[in-house]
Amino acid sequence: MANGQIVGTTRIVETGPPEQRWNAVIVSEGYRSDEMAQFATDAKQFADTLLSVAPFDRLRAAINIYRVDVTSTESGAKDPKKCNGTGAKPRTFFGASFCSNGIRRLLIANNGRVLDVVKKQVPQWHMAFLAVNSPISGGSGGPVATFSRAPGAVEIAIHEMGHTAFGLADEYEYYSGCASDKGHDKHSKTEPVQPNITTNKNRATTKWRSLIQPATPVPTTSNANCANCDPQPSPVAVGTIGLFEGADYFHCGVYRPEFDCRMRNLNRPFCAVCQQVIVKKLTPFLPG
Amino acid sequence: MAASKSARKSRRKSKSRKAAKKTSRAKSRKTPAQAKAIETSLGLNKAVRLTFSYDGDNVKLVSQQRTEMTVPASDTVKGYGKYKGFWAELKSGSDKTLYRTVMHNPTKNDAEVFPESPGEVISRQPAPKRKGVFVVVVPDTDKGEEVILCRSAPETKGPTRGIRALASEPAEEILRLKLKK
Repeated sequence: MANGQIVGTTRIVETGPPEQRWNAVIVSEGYRSDEMAQFATDAKQFADTLLSVAPFDRLRAAINIYRVDVTSTESGAKDPKKCNGTGAKPRTFFGASFCSNGIRRLLIANNGRVLDVVKKQVPQWHMAFLAVNSPISGGSGGPVATFSRAPGAVEIAIHEMGHTAFGLADEYEYYSGCASDKGHDKHSKTEPVQPNITTNKNRATTKWRSLIQPATPVPTTSNANCANCDPQPSPVAVGTIGLFEGADYFHCGVYRPEFDCRMRNLNRPFCAVCQQVIVKKLTPFLPG
Repeated sequence: MAASKSARKSRRKSKSRKAAKKTSRAKSRKTPAQAKAIETSLGLNKAVRLTFSYDGDNVKLVSQQRTEMTVPASDTVKGYGKYKGFWAELKSGSDKTLYRTVMHNPTKNDAEVFPESPGEVISRQPAPKRKGVFVVVVPDTDKGEEVILCRSAPETKGPTRGIRALASEPAEEILRLKLKK
């Protein structure tokens, strides 16, 4: 049984033909037909937030944003009791559920089904988002950036878009947490392919060398105790580009370009290197 | 579908280096509009969308679909021989890399867990039952014949064993497929 239906698609940010623009698509999940006005508001809010984030604020002319209205029979998402949830099991179109793999805030839907809908509604899509009508905090990445209506959950979607659409790595230096990590002291010497992390601390050859000022020390920070996360505050001004030790789930032996970044913590700007990657990837979509 | 032999590999590397140099020289002298014109001439307004499924270690092609759309700019096509991670490449008939897209490993067996309130940190947890789909989009060009996927294998021992996000070895080709013409 379908547990809802596809109502239609609206281009909520229109800058040009879809063949020439980068097309982001926001799909609804767990909204009943009488809640679709709320989804329209949520989608608009998401679009406004995305286009206010640098560098997307300067790339507006390259981006179309679509809203795909899909109703569900019932409201919300599954919230299994085994993760201390309410036990709710609403009938929704994409079957979104918290507690995926036993992880409370891991909110995942049937991504294959989401992509089938997106492909039919917007054949030129580049990035798919699923907005889930639940006040519980949660989300997930992968081919579809999924986020709930909890305050701040849009940040999850933007971080995940950094991975999915732009190939950016995580810049945090731990796995399950600084206090609980085992085996995360030292990164291997193998260079990661992602553009925003490196094992190369040579100023002349490191990935983002052109952005490092001559006066900036390299490495800019070093972790004195690789058994733990580096507790020191940034020794340089916010926005300084250098080589800061700790990233890619390891405390030492791998560097990130700035002290902080959206790929390290939510509610932060993308660092200059991540912004450069995004701009480069989206340049072909700018009007000629 | 099979991995290449060493002679072919070395020829491919040399050709790939030359092509990358040429593209890089051309792009470095161009304005964004000129670079866009070059990309358009390479066929970046036509694309092939490849959908893959994965379950554990297995990755397979589910569908390929031609679409009139613009493709994001390529990542650099040179110097990936010893890198770790995950990426896809469009190859010519002579195995030259025409387009590359770096990806955050879409076949991971762990997951990011997000904080409930600002100030708390993101963390990761193993999610061994993850399976699903992912999508790769490459330019649809006359020269593009094959697509390959490269991925690092996870550690086989130690505390990070089995977790794909923590793989430390250079990536290897895991899949090669011919594009339908």
